[in-house]
Amino acid sequence: MIAYLIRRLLLFIPMAMGMVVVTFGLLLIIPGDPASVLLGQEASPEAIERLRDSLGLNDPWYVRLWDYFASLLSGDLGTSIFQNQPVATIILGRLGATIELAVAALVIATVLGLAMGVVSAMRQGSIIDTITMIFAQLGVSMPVYWLSLLLMLAFAVQLGWLPAIGRGMPLPEAFWAAITGRPQALMDSLSHLLLPALALSATPAAIISRLTRTSMLEMLREDFVRTAYAKGLRRPRVIIRHVLRNALLPVLSVIGLRFGMLLGGAVLTESIFAWPGLGQLTITAISQRDLPLIQGIVLTFALIFALVNLLVDLLYAAVDPRVRLG
Amino acid sequence: MKKLLLSTTALLFALAIGPAFAQETIVVGTDVDAGTLDSRLTRDTTAYRVADLIYSGLVHITPQLEVVPDLAESWETPDPQTFIFKLRDGLKFSDGTPLTADDVVYTYTTLLNPDFNAPMRTLYTPIRSVEKVDDMTVKFSLDAPYAPLLSYLDLGIVPQELAEGGHDIATQPVGAGPMKLTSWNRGAEIALEANPEYWGGAPRIEKVTLKIIPDNSARAQAFEAGDLDVIQSPLSPQDISRLAGDDRFGNAIMPGLGVTYINFNTKDPLLSDPKMRQAFSMLVDQQTIVSDIYQDVDKVASSVLLPSSWAYSPDIKQPTFNIEGAVALFNELGWTDSNGDGILDKDGNKLTVTLATHSEDPNRVQTIEFLQAMFSQAGVDAKTQITDWPSFSTNYVQKSQHQIALLGWLNIVDPDRLLFSQLTTGGSTNWGGYSNPKVDELLQKGRSSLDQQERAAAYQEAAKILAEELPYFIVSYQGYQLFYDKELPTEVTATPRGYLRGLIGMEN
Repeated sequence: MIAYLIRRLLLFIPMAMGMVVVTFGLLLIIPGDPASVLLGQEASPEAIERLRDSLGLNDPWYVRLWDYFASLLSGDLGTSIFQNQPVATIILGRLGATIELAVAALVIATVLGLAMGVVSAMRQGSIIDTITMIFAQLGVSMPVYWLSLLLMLAFAVQLGWLPAIGRGMPLPEAFWAAITGRPQALMDSLSHLLLPALALSATPAAIISRLTRTSMLEMLREDFVRTAYAKGLRRPRVIIRHVLRNALLPVLSVIGLRFGMLLGGAVLTESIFAWPGLGQLTITAISQRDLPLIQGIVLTFALIFALVNLLVDLLYAAVDPRVRLG
Repeated sequence: MKKLLLSTTALLFALAIGPAFAQETIVVGTDVDAGTLDSRLTRDTTAYRVADLIYSGLVHITPQLEVVPDLAESWETPDPQTFIFKLRDGLKFSDGTPLTADDVVYTYTTLLNPDFNAPMRTLYTPIRSVEKVDDMTVKFSLDAPYAPLLSYLDLGIVPQELAEGGHDIATQPVGAGPMKLTSWNRGAEIALEANPEYWGGAPRIEKVTLKIIPDNSARAQAFEAGDLDVIQSPLSPQDISRLAGDDRFGNAIMPGLGVTYINFNTKDPLLSDPKMRQAFSMLVDQQTIVSDIYQDVDKVASSVLLPSSWAYSPDIKQPTFNIEGAVALFNELGWTDSNGDGILDKDGNKLTVTLATHSEDPNRVQTIEFLQAMFSQAGVDAKTQITDWPSFSTNYVQKSQHQIALLGWLNIVDPDRLLFSQLTTGGSTNWGGYSNPKVDELLQKGRSSLDQQERAAAYQEAAKILAEELPYFIVSYQGYQLFYDKELPTEVTATPRGYLRGLIGMEN
């Protein structure tokens, strides 16, 4: 088990190097450089050339790639060209917000998706099934951008129940404040979190519900379910112990994958709700050609994705005794 | 009884002071985060606006674009190449340290150093040297007379001692403006509070928070939901008409300081003849672009001079929309539809041209698509090329690879800023390669004369030539909009630059 973990973690190194090279190559291909963006339209060509030189953009690509690897090995992600701060500091400052949003969206999506999936599988063909599946269809096909604006219009502008934009205190801090007698901060944080998390959860909730439904229906037809009933087990026990537990396996791996996608999907939601996370940062960094920052963000996403997949594999083993890691 | 009286008094007192303290914070929505808050390095609208609050310059520019004293109490020009500024008594930075002539000299010397990479450096290059005469007096010496200089001297003065001591001015700015930075949560908000050390006294509003909401529609909705007290350009045209009709909000809708224009590459064989540029310009239906795409937020432009400028003259007119006229002109130049395929041709070559712009601004993309349709109606085979700003600017327009490109210029506080670097021979941003000795002479005269009437005459003459030769075709004058909650405790004065001093209880 430990050996398996170490092997998985070591595998991350070549993967990360691959990511760096691919990103680097892409950044070489796309035209436009940070020097001209940094200096703006009014800058003279000489000024732009001078800045290119001082940023090292005129060095051959292999020198730049080598320099980047060398500094990576010493644990340095470089300095953002535009914010003039260490890339690691900038990313760490944003990471919490994105993870908070993604986790909240995933929790909502899982709870909603599982509930809808289970209910519609149990009542296959009924009106409840139809309604849930219509919702699932809507959830998959509705652009998150549009849904976000719609939610904001309904709950913030018209009803005025929730704030339209921004983020409260980070959740862990807000929980602490609530424990130490200031529940207001927690309410504030949650009220800011609710709309963007809801918007972001629509697609994964829909996918999870459809997958759960299909998977449950398959399991309900299995022999061991009939056997369980024949043994005289009661329906709730059969459903929970035998059907749901088996049906959850494919759902679990999808939830894991979805988490990775949520990090990426947060880009639009974040910029609409002014949520200060990595998604927003990604857009800005790319539009400014802030090369070290883009590299750093890509690496961070890759690392999170790899870690989440590892976690899902471990969970898989825990849920399904047939899976053995080694 | 006594207790009752006391509590009544307390209640009355609370009622009396209540409203005064109810709104001491103003929350302003903005579209981008500031890149840096070092006044010498600012390059985005948010940074300009925040720097204007944190710092003070030698002078201040009013909403009417007049130059008034700020840190400098007065100035004199013994000869056209020398400016001597006298600082006010007892100036202090927000950290309490005194502001002296040394800080002014330091600010401008670093700005002019090419290695400092200041984006606006070109505006200041006519300055030969900045010297301290005494603690309260600074002397600017110029290489040549340079009339627009005063309009650019609102540049925020930075504290020399802190900056040289390794303090990061870019992230922890210290200035002598009406407000100071309290916190900056990157990508989310910038919080400011009143600076009691400001020479004019602390402003009426104690706190200003700028919230960064990149999406235009989301920002408008957050304003309607009451999360924001103030929003301003850029806004989507459809949001503007809705907000303008809402009586909870006050607004200021005025001409801005920017233009949207077509840049013709005069070095391109197809476009080197001014008559060709005239013909193409006559295909630009400005009225439809302004009313349907910009929803009348921007106005139809007639020349390179802005209506808000002292140099403006309504008599100078670029060609106007006229398809038949354009086709006639093309025919005159030898472009006819000889094979009846609907496309003009000459010597066996089709009349093909590429229209380009950048993808960030959906209105410009729509304009280019509309132009493509108008061009093809006139028998021009128009292709479009739309890429993101870094590719469009660095690898295309700035390398003069374009034929017809749609672009904009901002912050035109003086006609010089739109014309000199852009349209004089070999100018640093003359991407279309335009060259006309007469225009060079007039633009040089415009910047070196210190007499405004003489300047206006020079610019008008140049504008007249430019309206015929058309290295630039100005499509529209950009508008500026500001919306605010009517409950704001202060009188609101808007400035076309979008600066915020007019919101915090100052006159402008």
